[in-house]
Amino acid sequence: MDHFEVFGLPRRLAIDTAELQRRFYELSRRYHPDFHQAAPPEEQARALEASARLNAAYRALRDPIARVEYLVRLEEGRDTKEGATVKPKAPPELLEEMFEIQEALAEAKAGGLDEAGRAALVAQRDRLATRLRDEEARLVGPLSEQWDASRPAERQRALATIKESLAIRAYLRTVVDDLNDALGESQEGYVTNRRH
Amino acid sequence: MAYSEKVVDHYNNPRNVGSFAKDAPGVGTGLVGAPECGDVMKLQIKVNLQTGVIEDAKFKTFGCGSAIASSSLATEWLKGKTVDEAGKIKNTDIVNELKLPPVKIHCSVLAEDAIKAALADYKTKWIKEGAAAASST
Repeated sequence: MDHFEVFGLPRRLAIDTAELQRRFYELSRRYHPDFHQAAPPEEQARALEASARLNAAYRALRDPIARVEYLVRLEEGRDTKEGATVKPKAPPELLEEMFEIQEALAEAKAGGLDEAGRAALVAQRDRLATRLRDEEARLVGPLSEQWDASRPAERQRALATIKESLAIRAYLRTVVDDLNDALGESQEGYVTNRRH
Repeated sequence: MAYSEKVVDHYNNPRNVGSFAKDAPGVGTGLVGAPECGDVMKLQIKVNLQTGVIEDAKFKTFGCGSAIASSSLATEWLKGKTVDEAGKIKNTDIVNELKLPPVKIHCSVLAEDAIKAALADYKTKWIKEGAAAASST
């Protein structure tokens, strides 16, 4: 059973999150171990399993970007970020740009940041953060709608566009994280998505 | 996550960090990225146009320890190999040498992609001139 099926939903990206939450609470009560204490052990175990499945499904679907990432994995039949069948390709000029930013950042850090250098990094970080937000808006807006509206023959192309957008987002996120690190402005409690 | 000793060694003392001028004779450049994590890796080879042997290799990687170690190791392995031999380096060789855990396999894939991209770039830019130079001697 996939996460959409847990909620009885079709495999579509447009989800009413208020309705999703309502369904989540309703099903949570139904499967809650406390209500199955008197039941036979097999039934208790089933309820526990259903409860765990429900929590995982809610986590994957409530956030629109996590939902897109999940859809891609589901369509490709894999469980993790690893092992994508077809690697999404970000535009080569974006790679060049990211590399140049990282190289300049490494040099700026090595040379010590003066006032002007810092201001330049802040401006660059802000520009890239705006692009990141724009890319995320494109992902959860038009690209999600395009997937939902696509006929079976168009699905692969809609999915490929989504994957490219996810790749662009990953590069932008990384470079914004690294600029924040260099500026000492990493947000408290914010876990960067890589560099372990 | 615990890194293997070899990863730590390459991370702390990366070999062959740097770059060649992109259009210098015999230089092939591969720039690749990992969309899973946003890492970027540039790997360059400098091939002797007479012999087809890779005389030098350099890299610059902005990424995690495993990505840095994978590309550092790749440059070491590339030196002294012919272009054809270099094309046979597989990501699994890197995984085995560095004992990368499953979640870090994509770092070795990235290094293999970078090698392939550098070789392809070298071939497009220099293979004709290389052959011409070799036959004219």
